[in-house]
Amino acid sequence: MNTLRMAWLIAEKDLRVEWRTKEIILTTALFGILVVILSSLSFYLNPTMSRRVAPGVLWVAIAFAGVLSLGRSWGRERDNDAMRGLLLSPVPRPSIYLGKWLSGFILLTAIEAILIPLVAIFFHLDLTPLAWPLAAIVGLGTTGFVAAGTLFSALSARGGARDLLLSVVVFPLIAPALLSAVVATRELLAGAPLSETFEWLRILGAFDIIFLAGGYTLFGPIISD
Amino acid sequence: MSIDFNTVRTEAVTKLYGLTRALAGVDAEFQAGKVTVIEGPNGSGKSTLLHILAQEARPSSGHVLYNGRKIRRGRLRSRIGVLAHQSMLYPDLTGDENLRLFSALYQVPEAPARIDDLKQRFHIGRFAERPARTWSRGQLQRVALARTLLGSPRLLLLDEPSTGLDNRSVELLVKAIKDERDRGSIVVVVTHDLGFSSEIADTVVRLKQGRVDTSTGEQGVST
Repeated sequence: MNTLRMAWLIAEKDLRVEWRTKEIILTTALFGILVVILSSLSFYLNPTMSRRVAPGVLWVAIAFAGVLSLGRSWGRERDNDAMRGLLLSPVPRPSIYLGKWLSGFILLTAIEAILIPLVAIFFHLDLTPLAWPLAAIVGLGTTGFVAAGTLFSALSARGGARDLLLSVVVFPLIAPALLSAVVATRELLAGAPLSETFEWLRILGAFDIIFLAGGYTLFGPIISD
Repeated sequence: MSIDFNTVRTEAVTKLYGLTRALAGVDAEFQAGKVTVIEGPNGSGKSTLLHILAQEARPSSGHVLYNGRKIRRGRLRSRIGVLAHQSMLYPDLTGDENLRLFSALYQVPEAPARIDDLKQRFHIGRFAERPARTWSRGQLQRVALARTLLGSPRLLLLDEPSTGLDNRSVELLVKAIKDERDRGSIVVVVTHDLGFSSEIADTVVRLKQGRVDTSTGEQGVST
């Protein structure tokens, strides 16, 4: 209970800072919007093709926006060496991980809430009937992406390589989850029933559990000297 | 469970960073109600020793004993306060928000009263309603000191706390250190500022190349 309460304090602090500065939302959403617009100009041919291209564009925009967002969120922990203050406090290490995961998840979900309608507009897709299954795929994909990203962002925040390390390590690690998310979204947009995408959802769910459990367990040892 | 202790002793503590030996067998004892100042040239291991006392870093060999006992790393975090050159405050939060956050993380009982008391003690006025990034160095360090003392630490570790402070802020800092000493805390200060050191030190330990070179004052440290 204490672990969750402490995690919420850390997440609430991140969200309060973001509410005040709007820095992450503005910069990453603008970047994501640019990816969507440029991709639609390059790849949009007809409604049939758009259903095959849009999932890739959506997940590329989410992945890049996610890495930027996580990098900046942990960058704030570097300012004034605030991370050290957090690590010196008696907060359980898993609480720090869970708190940073939660704020990262909420921020990336907010960015996705901008990107998904934009993809629908620029690729001429009616996503309204698919809203719930799409939300499930995006939610599961985001959970695992942020779980892995949070762990390695922490490493990069403590180390010297920072954002470079984050991109180099996170993308190969989350590749299977990202591929599952893209294929599941593509199947969904192609008109496959939810039962056919269910296998991909199970893979995504398994990745989420592995990444979350791994992050929860490994965060303390990784972040400590 | 709250753990209390009156002494902190390092026994043959060494610390290696790769091939670099930051500490080479430091034996020292720090006592409650005493201010120990650690001096030494750059690279002599002062900050490394402080990191180890704060349980931020593990010694490569040797032990740190609290009241003569080894205590598992992490169990003392609520009893240790660290003030460094960097404030460790969130620049986009106000002073009040920073203090409220850390009082919650330290689970300070009756936090609002404790925060008010510390704000009064360190002359933290209206500026604390603005984000920390807008403050002067002195204001930042005063709030950082309040943050450090929120949990009433038993072991207070200060790393170059007077750097960049004006006279008034240094006076407040000196008074705070003496108050904590009188309260019975174990106070360890790393500083290059000889004037500041002479005002607060009960014991001075001089480190050289990772070893205790000399020590002066009462009992404190063995060479």
